[in-house]
Amino acid sequence: MPETATDEREVAVADPGAAETAEHRLRAHVEMLERRLRKRDEQRRAMLHIMGDLSEFNKRLANQRKAMLHVLADYEQDRRRLARQTERLDNSRRAVLHILQDSHKDTLRLEASRKAMIHIMGDLRETTAEMRRREQELRDKQEQLVQAGKLATLGELTTGVAHELNNPLNNIGLFVGNAVDLIELAGTEKEQIVGELRHAMQQVRKATQIISHLRTFGRAAPASREAISLRQVIERALSLMQEQLRLREIEVTVDLGPVEPVVLGNAIQLEQVFINLLTNARDAVAGSPRKAIWISGSARSGVVEVAFADTGPGIPAGLERRIFDPFFTTKDVGKGTGLGLSITYGIIKEHGGTISVVSAPGEGATFLIHLPLAPADTKETSP
Amino acid sequence: MTTPLSVLIVDDDPALLQALPQALRLRMGGVTVETADSAAAALDRIAAQDYDAIVTDIKMPGMDGLALLAEIRTRRPDTPTLIITGHGENELVVHALRGGACDFIQKPIDRDYFVAALYRAVRAHVRNRRVKDRQLALASCADELERIVQKLEREPRAVLGRADS
Repeated sequence: MPETATDEREVAVADPGAAETAEHRLRAHVEMLERRLRKRDEQRRAMLHIMGDLSEFNKRLANQRKAMLHVLADYEQDRRRLARQTERLDNSRRAVLHILQDSHKDTLRLEASRKAMIHIMGDLRETTAEMRRREQELRDKQEQLVQAGKLATLGELTTGVAHELNNPLNNIGLFVGNAVDLIELAGTEKEQIVGELRHAMQQVRKATQIISHLRTFGRAAPASREAISLRQVIERALSLMQEQLRLREIEVTVDLGPVEPVVLGNAIQLEQVFINLLTNARDAVAGSPRKAIWISGSARSGVVEVAFADTGPGIPAGLERRIFDPFFTTKDVGKGTGLGLSITYGIIKEHGGTISVVSAPGEGATFLIHLPLAPADTKETSP
Repeated sequence: MTTPLSVLIVDDDPALLQALPQALRLRMGGVTVETADSAAAALDRIAAQDYDAIVTDIKMPGMDGLALLAEIRTRRPDTPTLIITGHGENELVVHALRGGACDFIQKPIDRDYFVAALYRAVRAHVRNRRVKDRQLALASCADELERIVQKLEREPRAVLGRADS
């Protein structure tokens, strides 16, 4: 259009008539330009407005971006925390799994143990039964051993007893012979004959006592338990050994104190204990300048202690334990069976007691026997 | 044997010391029997008196019969001593006989055997003594004869002269 306007002015210049038209035309043109300018201004203002809005929007956007960044940072942190927790959780899970596995293994092992336990219990029950059987066997054997030892003791006693029996038998023969002579003589006093016969009777009684005692001693007595007087047991053992001790000039002292010790036990077995101890003491003192045996007893708090001491050479150091072993003997071959003290030990143990030996060199041996006293209300039965 | 016999019995059993002397008195008329209950008591009696025979048990407490026998042999070597032994104690019997016992008697005592043994011992003792006496007498006779022979050799005349007268 400007070219047009310029052209019109040129026309106007060139043609003044034309100038008027041109002027009109130019005015219209200016008006149109002014309108356009206004429109453009409006547009420009609107644009400015929009620009301001845009800037505002942009600012807000920037703020939001910043907020977003924050949120993102937070999110990142959360994510990391979560990852860590997940990891931890995973570890825990794994640990729990392990524990569960272990627990399972333990359960298995426990089950195996339980089964093994049942086996062991069964075995144990069998073993216990076996033990009980063996124990019974042992007790039977012990009883047999006691009997064997008793017979051995009896055998040893017999030699002494044979001599003892020979004396009353000899005397009986003499007294009766005298009576026969007196009767044949005729005219002798009746009393004299009766006197001889009475003497003979006395000797018969003496012989009977010895024999009956030997018989009771040799009998395989059942291991019954009765209340028995320890004093009587010792006296009876002494009576069997009396002659042997007397001939060897062995002085025997018995002092059981003022109380009568009563124990629950087997009279024959306990008698054997003292016969064995007396036999040992008899042999022990054989070479001593003073031959003596002391048997002393004292009772207190339900236990009676019997000390059996001799004046022999004592027991060599180191043998104190072995002397109670079966077949252990210090005597010459054929002199002792080595059973005496082991049987003695067995009998005392079976009676709930103990036996030990104390022996200071050169002071003889002392055997200490402890036996539980019978309860006060048990009645004593004569052995 | 005109004088009554005296016998000593030694034993530690009082019943035997009652029975055996009685048996001897009944079987050996007029015998005197004394008793001792131990070897020590026996030695006391032996010191005081000479017995025709001694009878002793072997087994006694303290000094036993064998020791007593040895003691008798030194103190009264002529007195016959008899030993009483238990049955089957052969070893002791041999010991006793070697030790100078003149006989042994086993228990239980057979009275006939015992009395016979005692008589035998006493008679042997008496015979021994008589033999010894005669030996002594013979010895002194022999001495006498010897002296006479010597005297005859020295102075035959005196002797012959005496014989002539």
